[in-house]
Amino acid sequence: MALTRRQFLTLMGGSAGAAVLFQACGLPEKELLIDSPPSMPEDLVSGIDNWYATTSQQAGRSEGIVVRVMEGRAKKVEGNPDYPLNLGGHSALSEAALQGLYHPDRISSPLVRTGPRGSGEYREISWEDAIGRLSSQLNELETANESNRAVFVTNPQGGHLGLVLNRFVDAVGARHLAYEVLENNILRNALEEVFGSDSIPEFDIDNADFILSFGADFLSTWISPTRYARGYGEFRQGHEHRGKLIHVDSRFSLTAANADQWVHVNPGTEGLLAMSIMQVLSSSHPDPVFQSLDSEGILDSYSPSNVAGEIGVSEETIKRIAEEFSHSKHPIALGGGSAGAHTNGSQNLKAIYSLNRVVSNVGEKGGIILNPKSPIDDIGAAEPANNFSEFHTLAEEMKSGNVSVLMVRDADIYYGMTDTADMKAALNNVPLIVSFGGINDDITSIADLILPQHHFLEDWGTDVPVAGPGYQMIGFQQPVVRPFFEHRGRNLGTKGFADILMTTAQVMGKDLGLEGQTFQEVIKNGAKKLYELNRGQVVSNTFEGFWNGVLQRGGWWDVEAKESAVPDVRSLRGVDSPEFGGGSQQEFYIQPFVSTLGDGHYSSLPWLQAMPDPISTATWQTWVEINHKVAEEKGLSEGDVLEIRPANGRVIKALAMPNPAVPPDILGIPIGQGHRDGGRYSAGRGANIMSVLDLKMDSELNSLAWAATKANITISGEWMRVPKFENTVPEFPRDEHHSIIEITSGEHH
Amino acid sequence: MADSNKWGMVVDIDRCTGCQGCVVACQAENNIPINLEEHFNQRRAIQWIRIERYWEGEYPNVKARFIPIMCQHCGNAPCEPVCPVYATYHNDEGMNVQVYNRCIGTRFCANGCPYHIRFFNFWEPEWPESLKNQLNPDVTVRSRGIMEKCSFCVQRIQRSTREAERDGVDLEDGDRGLNPACVNACATNSIIFGNFNDPNSEVSIIKEKEMKEGGRGYGLLENLGTDPNVIYLKKVDESVEVGHGH
Ligand code: SF4
Ligand code: SF4
Repeated sequence: MALTRRQFLTLMGGSAGAAVLFQACGLPEKELLIDSPPSMPEDLVSGIDNWYATTSQQAGRSEGIVVRVMEGRAKKVEGNPDYPLNLGGHSALSEAALQGLYHPDRISSPLVRTGPRGSGEYREISWEDAIGRLSSQLNELETANESNRAVFVTNPQGGHLGLVLNRFVDAVGARHLAYEVLENNILRNALEEVFGSDSIPEFDIDNADFILSFGADFLSTWISPTRYARGYGEFRQGHEHRGKLIHVDSRFSLTAANADQWVHVNPGTEGLLAMSIMQVLSSSHPDPVFQSLDSEGILDSYSPSNVAGEIGVSEETIKRIAEEFSHSKHPIALGGGSAGAHTNGSQNLKAIYSLNRVVSNVGEKGGIILNPKSPIDDIGAAEPANNFSEFHTLAEEMKSGNVSVLMVRDADIYYGMTDTADMKAALNNVPLIVSFGGINDDITSIADLILPQHHFLEDWGTDVPVAGPGYQMIGFQQPVVRPFFEHRGRNLGTKGFADILMTTAQVMGKDLGLEGQTFQEVIKNGAKKLYELNRGQVVSNTFEGFWNGVLQRGGWWDVEAKESAVPDVRSLRGVDSPEFGGGSQQEFYIQPFVSTLGDGHYSSLPWLQAMPDPISTATWQTWVEINHKVAEEKGLSEGDVLEIRPANGRVIKALAMPNPAVPPDILGIPIGQGHRDGGRYSAGRGANIMSVLDLKMDSELNSLAWAATKANITISGEWMRVPKFENTVPEFPRDEHHSIIEITSGEHH
Repeated sequence: MADSNKWGMVVDIDRCTGCQGCVVACQAENNIPINLEEHFNQRRAIQWIRIERYWEGEYPNVKARFIPIMCQHCGNAPCEPVCPVYATYHNDEGMNVQVYNRCIGTRFCANGCPYHIRFFNFWEPEWPESLKNQLNPDVTVRSRGIMEKCSFCVQRIQRSTREAERDGVDLEDGDRGLNPACVNACATNSIIFGNFNDPNSEVSIIKEKEMKEGGRGYGLLENLGTDPNVIYLKKVDESVEVGHGH
């Protein structure tokens, strides 16, 4: 296996040093064996392929990939078997990157709007013209001493691109806001308070024997799912003893489906359950976490008898979970997703992560491994996004005319913000919207000036993962193909985002203080700092050798460079009850969830649109998971168009999909559809649940509590077939004697 | 390495999370037409590997079970004898092969396959011009009227066999160039591919261990006598009652 991997890796190099194997003269012998049966259907003399390593940072995840390139075209993505986080596996999202690269609706040159805003009428302009327009606007603001009327909204971005971006906004005096539809701020802040670092630690799922997860759909979409799935396989069948997973959630997610036990709790009570578990353990586990709570008598108010009713579980269940958690050799508690998306979200997550301190698993095998700082000073992981309330304030500023230039990159505030924050109207009031989008996402579709960036498979970059592997690493992103629109010439086509910023700064006469004239040079010079450390997995006595090695391997990492300090426990306060938008008049809790399209950013990719949602098998639409019995009572069946009506008066339509696992008071609705644009596979399909949410905030951080809206449903009378995979083939008979599931007792190992 | 090959798979349902990663990987590797909304609505979407989801029980005591299903490359394949033109046949490497340019579209084989893994092209496949750049040149695009199904990524077997012969080395068990696309994609390592004729291959070792009495191995619908070349490993369920106080 080791040899195989090495052979494989020799084909992945990125530059002149890459090994390219040429076929021996003439046809390989096997090709001539016409009677060789398997060659009949595929009797092609195939060309030479090369695999290049790069890194995908899509959806803020870090995945090492290798891309198969033939005749200059990217054909297939696979996982990089050496990349610390995914070790060979890869996600559908990485796979679908190829459809982003070759998307039929990609923007192939800079554009300036000619028709009314949002009309889609544009004229191609040259890069010189486009950058000239942007820089003259920024110059004008500077001359008028109004540079802070320029606002730059991007995705949270680390690595060298983050460095260029920061230098750029500083140099032009603009304000920078980082945007995520589903913020990780609450999570990162809770981690900071519990573990002293806001980077997301490595969860050593591989070696854990008991996982207690709260709300975090880590086997499907949460944070770094490919990495967690890899751990999960080992957790189940990689050791003598099969690990046990208990998942606490108000919705039946994919992680709940895979758990040995799904503990259904009332929405937003996850933290109460964590506190109650601590209360049960406080006598047997004298731990600093408890001291402040204990001394103030806070903990006792969370005893199982006090809170079981509110949580919606039995006292015995709480005690049994506490028992199992504390008696396991390698327990981990983790939480996020909807558990952190309530008005008490911060408190929930702090209580959940504190459970790890109780069992002292920090820095331990099978526990929580803290991530060390980046090996290079000025290059780090992405900072947390700005809070929702800052974007709400931004909308107010736009309305009062205080924003003159809005620049956006991979941050669709037109799509992602709830309409209760009135962002769409506010954007109307911004005189110049500049987008760097490579495809018409919603914000780009109303932009005045578009400077289309390269696809990441055409561009350079580095990735310091927010959720690192527990040791220092930097992923390297290199272009695996030449820019697809290169044939349009130097003055049209797309450019790398960092290079656009660097050129704009240059035109404005600003010195960004970067080492290099192009982004590639900046990265290469950055790599010198790594080389000078003289450690890590790539060893070479020349820098060029090191550089090639790092590109071939997809990055640099040093498995010895770990974080050894385990900081003191911060004090933990109690957990309040959650509050909701709407009240007893609203029958259901809306539980938005991420299905196959991420936060909606990937709705343009047909493989992801057509990928069945794992629970419902639905595709291409917005559906509502509703309890099958509730549906029956209401006379609802699959495909009935429901109107979802929160108390704020807004409404969206979605298709009913009853299933037996939905709690009776929950409407599970996937995020990701309902775009005004996004190209032919995205525009105008389904509905956007984010757009109707109430303005409920986390009580500590003012992040949007996106799971805190209640709603009623009305039946519209319309019906539409749900595009789903289920029943595409006749139901597969389950053989009684050979059930796919073996039911065994707990001792069976 | 054995003299002859008998390719096969092991699928561990206890590792599988039902994430659908393998499904998308297969679409990318094998030039499967984009399954548009209307294809799903007509129940004519094509997936050479699919994830079946079963419900057990109902809220609050409910489970969902997932099982990936692809062509079982049956040693005794009911799809084969029914084909009037020998478009589907068994080769000497243990695989059930579909010869596209022989197929005349009777769909008898799809009727014969108890696993329902055969898919018919009801339309000419279409891609926008730019997306054609992604198509795999090693795999034929199937036209309207043709039956298709999982090939164990025969093009990868061919390529890696050829390259191994050229280099004068043995094909290695677990070689990522040999593995079907689904196997490489799966992050949980649920799917293992290899040569059942090689006693040292991982699939053989697992077969040896798990097909014994008390092991987790079984063949899907094996009582039909299809002699599948895919071994499934049962899920383990420590059936505990689900806690909910309501
Ligand atoms: S990729 Fe692996 S875990 Fe995911 S559905 Fe396929 S077999 Fe299961
Ligand atoms: S699974 Fe179906 S198609 Fe495949 S060999 Fe068996 S009968 Fe034929």
